[in-house]
Amino acid sequence: MFTQFLGNYLLQKGIVTRDQLFNAMARLSQSHIKLGTIAIHEGLMTANEVDECLYIQTREDKRFGEIAVARGYLSEENVSDLLSKQTPDYILLGQNLVEDGIISYEDLERIIFDYKADNELYDLELDVENSGIVQSIIEKFFLMAEMPANDLNVMYLELMFNSLIRFIGEDFSPLTPMIVDEYPITFGVSQAVIGDRDYITHIDCDRETAIAFASRYAKEDFSEFNEYVIAALEDFLNLHNGLYIVNVSNQQSKNIELAPPEITEEGVLMGVNKCVDFPVAYPFGIVHLIVSY
Amino acid sequence: MDITNKKILICDDSVLARKQLMDAVKEIADGAIFLEGRNGTEAIELYKKEKPDIVFMDIVMPEKDGNEALSEIKAFDQDAVIIIVSSVGTQDQLKKAIQLGAKDFIQKPFEKNQISEIIELRLGGK
Repeated sequence: MFTQFLGNYLLQKGIVTRDQLFNAMARLSQSHIKLGTIAIHEGLMTANEVDECLYIQTREDKRFGEIAVARGYLSEENVSDLLSKQTPDYILLGQNLVEDGIISYEDLERIIFDYKADNELYDLELDVENSGIVQSIIEKFFLMAEMPANDLNVMYLELMFNSLIRFIGEDFSPLTPMIVDEYPITFGVSQAVIGDRDYITHIDCDRETAIAFASRYAKEDFSEFNEYVIAALEDFLNLHNGLYIVNVSNQQSKNIELAPPEITEEGVLMGVNKCVDFPVAYPFGIVHLIVSY
Repeated sequence: MDITNKKILICDDSVLARKQLMDAVKEIADGAIFLEGRNGTEAIELYKKEKPDIVFMDIVMPEKDGNEALSEIKAFDQDAVIIIVSSVGTQDQLKKAIQLGAKDFIQKPFEKNQISEIIELRLGGK
């Protein structure tokens, strides 16, 4: 999930455009981490040293590892350790941006440092999908929207990001959430979650985005807006809310029920208390997850 | 697998979920007759009229939910073979479904092999 968080950070800081980010994200599954990138990440080489070795590699027919060892930047042991290491996807995202010429290795080194600093992650490694870190970053999404980051809110959004990764694809970036009094509906589906506190969950997007979203969810190639597209959106929301109530039931022994999903094609969405919009950007469009309390 | 003339009732308010379940069955078995219901009321009516060999039933549905339909169908025919297919896989729901007489419970999203195992077990030997 750190790939998506880093994407959000890069967009917020104006380091990349949305198109640049999506180009780099789209290649994540086909990209392989390079020794230089991982050496920087592990703190064994500086960006300048990596750049130097890469420059030499353009003139000499040698592997990166051989050059780095010959110049004394890495030992043979370092190379074999690095080759066997698993690196997180967010580093791969950074590498793709370097390869696209959007940022340099030096920029990447600084961005990762700043990102960790901004999120107070000094003593923590991002290598593992540590749930504590994920939750602390998700709490910041609520703070951005001036919402209380209570356990259930955090659990809901974390599961939503996981559901998006699992059922739609990892190539999205969460955008800045917003609290709104009313949300004008474009097209979407809603589902009420009924428990101690009732609330309405809603997915909203334009029709073209809905077709692309549904195609990914159903693993089919929908070309027009039809009942299957609508059903796919409903199924996604229902599935995600189902996972949420299973989690709540397991962790807090609370009994929560779901109402059947409904299609919402016009009007405004509003909550008695608040309506919060968590937009996520995919290459095919922006999908709004709205929760009204 | 040949399940010619076996009747399979799929009850789910989502047209996509019904199609995905039908596709999963068609991948491993030929000849089934599919019946589709969009809510619990339709499921009960179809069951009484057609006496299907197996029922795949969602829980969260409009008008009448899967639990109510399950209970009414079992009252009508205690041998009814009903499999719950739902995203609401809480322990409470699981217990409730089994108490009401469901033969099995599949958490959505289902894997195709879960459907094929059930078809094989429930219809394969008949």
